[in-house]
Amino acid sequence: MPKLKLALYWAGACGGCDVAVLDVNEKILDVANLADIVFWPIALDFKYHHVEAMPDKSIDVCLFNGCVRSSEQEHIAKMLRAKSKVLVAFGSCACFGGIPALANFTTRAEIMERAYIEAPSNENPEKTLPQTKVKVAEGEITLPELYENVYTLAQVVPVEYYVPGCPPTVDLILKVVNALATNSLPPVGAVVASEKTLCAECDRKKENKKITRIYRTHEIIPDPSKCLLEQGLLCMGAATRGGCGALCIKANIPCRGCFGPPPGVADQGAKLVSSIASIYETDGKDDIQKMVNEVADPAGTFYRFGMSTSMLRRKHSRKR
Amino acid sequence: MKKVSIDPITRLEGHGKIEIFLNDNGDVANTYFQIPELRGFEKFCEGRPVEEMPRIVPRICGV
Repeated sequence: MPKLKLALYWAGACGGCDVAVLDVNEKILDVANLADIVFWPIALDFKYHHVEAMPDKSIDVCLFNGCVRSSEQEHIAKMLRAKSKVLVAFGSCACFGGIPALANFTTRAEIMERAYIEAPSNENPEKTLPQTKVKVAEGEITLPELYENVYTLAQVVPVEYYVPGCPPTVDLILKVVNALATNSLPPVGAVVASEKTLCAECDRKKENKKITRIYRTHEIIPDPSKCLLEQGLLCMGAATRGGCGALCIKANIPCRGCFGPPPGVADQGAKLVSSIASIYETDGKDDIQKMVNEVADPAGTFYRFGMSTSMLRRKHSRKR
Repeated sequence: MKKVSIDPITRLEGHGKIEIFLNDNGDVANTYFQIPELRGFEKFCEGRPVEEMPRIVPRICGV
């Protein structure tokens, strides 16, 4: 079999997905036997113009991580879509918006103001903000336009497969590598993870217990053998796709939902609210208000990794 | 004035590009280093529970 051409790219990302690929350790040699890497900014010195010069569909597989929130990221997403036979949304940012999509609770103007003017480490008395075009003595320099919203890859271009996780685990990455090596790709649209919720792979005992209080993580030390939600901790497991092996839960901390909603669930946050509602013991209106008050950051907890694909999409301000 | 673009800069964590302007003799007249990315942790962490920060801010840089 001729070697595959593989590209890896990071858009609005932290580099954790790229490092996760290296976390396969010596199996990276299998990847090297299987594929020639033709673009990977974190590791290899290929430039955008090299990709531009490639014929359409000449890259066999592109693993694209990071969200799309600027004109440059959108341009590269479209370029890599055109050059790639198979485009994979790799990691929670590319799949659901990820942590950067928490920015959808605020506005571009507020982010700019905070990052470039208000932040205590700044010295910017002229309140200069980044501009898409700046005239300098020698000519002109440009920056991409920052968009108001954080988008997923599939909201910008068609995508063949999704590999969730912040970052995707080594097991899932090897699953992808093996599928490529044996030319046994799943049907288009497949999510490379479990088809069940995380609860299905969690070893903790569930007692169908009711709760009377929601705790913040620093307020109790949970029993490591029992369901975290039934101990009053907000664990996203019931509203999250399995496939990670319950890594956070095994460290005795609740899931934050980085694998996105399980199959058949349209909105991860709504699903968890429904789970809480079914186990919280209430005795009327006052209890319900008490329960609401106990959730320290509902939006940032229920939509920690999934704001871009949630039904909310972003914070909306009422037009006056 | 001739411009040489290095875009993207590679083999490091983060996003950047470098624009080098050359004068008529082909010498470097000036160089600009630019960061074409912003996610806004400074803003979207505000108001979130402090105990959740260790689970949010590691995503500033995952390398």
